[in-house]
Amino acid sequence: MTTTASDPTRHFFQPIIVCLTVASVALTLFVIWISLHDLSLMRAGREKFVGLDNYLRFFGDPRAMAALWRTVLFTALATVIEIALGLAVVLFLDRDFAMKRLVRTLLLVPIIMTPVVVGLTWRFLFDPATGMANYLLSLAGLSQIDWLGSPRIALFSVLIADIWQWTPFVILLVMAALESAPTDPLNAARVDGAREWQVTWYVLLPMLRRALAIVALIRAIDSIKAFDLFYIMTRGGPALSTETLNYYGYIVAFTNFDISYALAIAVILTIFTNVALLTMYSVLFPKAGER
Amino acid sequence: MGRRAVFYLGLLLLLLAVLFPLYWVVVTSFKTTRDAFAIPPVWLFSPTLDNYRTVFANRGFLSAFANSFVVSILSSALAVAIGSVAAYGLAQQPGDLRRSKEKFILSLRIAPALLFVIPMYYLATRIGALNQHWLLIAAYAFVNVPFAISLLITFFDDIPKELRDAARVDGAREFSVFWHVYLPAARGGIVATLILCVLFTWNEFFVALVLTGRDTQTLPVSITSFLTFQGIQWGALTAAATLIMLPMIVLGVLVQGQIVRGMTLGSVKG
Repeated sequence: MTTTASDPTRHFFQPIIVCLTVASVALTLFVIWISLHDLSLMRAGREKFVGLDNYLRFFGDPRAMAALWRTVLFTALATVIEIALGLAVVLFLDRDFAMKRLVRTLLLVPIIMTPVVVGLTWRFLFDPATGMANYLLSLAGLSQIDWLGSPRIALFSVLIADIWQWTPFVILLVMAALESAPTDPLNAARVDGAREWQVTWYVLLPMLRRALAIVALIRAIDSIKAFDLFYIMTRGGPALSTETLNYYGYIVAFTNFDISYALAIAVILTIFTNVALLTMYSVLFPKAGER
Repeated sequence: MGRRAVFYLGLLLLLLAVLFPLYWVVVTSFKTTRDAFAIPPVWLFSPTLDNYRTVFANRGFLSAFANSFVVSILSSALAVAIGSVAAYGLAQQPGDLRRSKEKFILSLRIAPALLFVIPMYYLATRIGALNQHWLLIAAYAFVNVPFAISLLITFFDDIPKELRDAARVDGAREFSVFWHVYLPAARGGIVATLILCVLFTWNEFFVALVLTGRDTQTLPVSITSFLTFQGIQWGALTAAATLIMLPMIVLGVLVQGQIVRGMTLGSVKG
């Protein structure tokens, strides 16, 4: 240890790691302290210790439970659809064609677009009277849809905007993985007489497994925390039908000023995220011995 | 021949789906109110700059532009400065120590923003910092530092170790190796990291929504003000939206090769 202690490169990262550690420990303690009290911004300074009340309240709060379920639904749908659609597009584009570089550049546009602007754009397209979406439906002879005004549909309209913004990300990442994959196994399978779908299913997909797993994890983390699209497109409505847990936490903190309960929600959301990630991780990256 | 036609048709549909929403917003920003809401939609029209005049006449929007600019540049520069020093140190460490630190840095990015924004908001109201730029700059630097460290490590890894060893043999001190060898060699990566931090900060909404006051509002927060008064002013809104995203699309195309790398870093290496 004495040799590493005198290694000057340690001085480069240690102060920052120490700062980040201290900041995150202090923050965690502060969050726990607040969530065990009944601190409200309306009457700061007169809080008292309430133990686990805020956490117990969560499980008896039907609005929170509905928001939790909605978060699970939104995350599962967004992740699965974006991965499936993205993979389909990658397989479709897997050939040489003119302008491939240009297509790649254009696919970047939704990813780097400001999420607030994405929300506004889709709200504009989904406008019930003058929006493009209903105009296209009328061209096709279909009846009009109240995209953001109907409690049964609004969550799926937000989902469409999320899919629009993030499927290109899946496409670009999986495309990069596909291009760095060796082509020998594919050709070997073809020489052995495998049909094209067999090559795709038995050789290509297993090679893309790692990239798909990573992108699924990233999309799941981001979907659980999704906020911008909901705030801009629906504000959690109509009739709370698009209120996710993250959004509910925001409302509790900054509309009701009940920051203790809001932090209890945030803590539960964090635990929930970690459990979901660990579960996904162990499914997507099974240990060698288990298979 | 038929298969090729089908392929290009599919490609066309894909590009249409990706680009049409963007096209429609930009086009609407040049329309008069009557053209913007015409059904069936007007495809050819005489463009007007009225919506842009409305936006530029809005003092709140202009100051939001300045706020966004200052906050994203300063917090990103701070994050990259701190991050490059830390990344240099970490890149020289043996595998185990380095991996454990990297894991810790990554874990900081999983927690929802709600978890640190509420305590920050509470403390800021107590000390009266809610309407000050440094609060926002500090918050974004805190968010960007872990990101900058993990991305910069991957760029420093690309630099051959022999460069460092040669400089050390010549008697250079560690800091001068960092300053005179690594920083110039990783210039492209550092610029890309800086741009990605700016992109992220410019686009960020949630932290800004909570931690800004009247004088520090950034663009994504400021644009929501077009949403409330007497319905929605779609003309001005689409013009403002175009102005917000245009610089980011230009920056994004400049660093396009790094964006997917930046967004997946760490997780790619496991």
